[in-house]
Amino acid sequence: MANNPSQLLPSELIDRCIGSKIWVIMKGDKELVGTLRGFDVYVNMVLEDVTEYEITAEGRRITKLDQILLNGNNIAILFLASVILILAIIWLHAVGPWWFS
Amino acid sequence: MATIPVNPKPFLNNLTGKPVIVKLKWGMEYKGYLVSVDSYMNLQLANTEEYIEGQFTGNLGEILIRNDRKNQCHCVTA
Repeated sequence: MANNPSQLLPSELIDRCIGSKIWVIMKGDKELVGTLRGFDVYVNMVLEDVTEYEITAEGRRITKLDQILLNGNNIAILFLASVILILAIIWLHAVGPWWFS
Repeated sequence: MATIPVNPKPFLNNLTGKPVIVKLKWGMEYKGYLVSVDSYMNLQLANTEEYIEGQFTGNLGEILIRNDRKNQCHCVTA
């Protein structure tokens, strides 16, 4: 498996994100964006400079957190910074006719 | 920008003796001093205050927060 450079273990992919901003989508209505400092085999993560977004009955609640240990059991999706950029480009293309004209 | 990784267990051990906030999945928060941590990441706090949806609801003193599949939490430095 190590012979094929395009075949990464999930943990290797997360390891490459250390020091970069990541977007974590939890089960339920919570998302976090922050810089990944470390993680373990359960994908518990240490994040810094975190913005937490929660969807509540009163609308979207934003909380700023300096440093957190995030329990890995509720993580549903983990976006890399590069994927966020790609999504931003896709979104720009979707609204492009107005934006680029 | 070579950064030194900070993994969860060392991060948590470094927080012992310091004030932390434990946010549970259900909206409760517990603010206190982290006394100790075990290998399951069960947490012992001292001088604990409870907040529910941001509202202070009382002093609890010394507590154990059990980290099982239902009581999912994340810790925040205060």
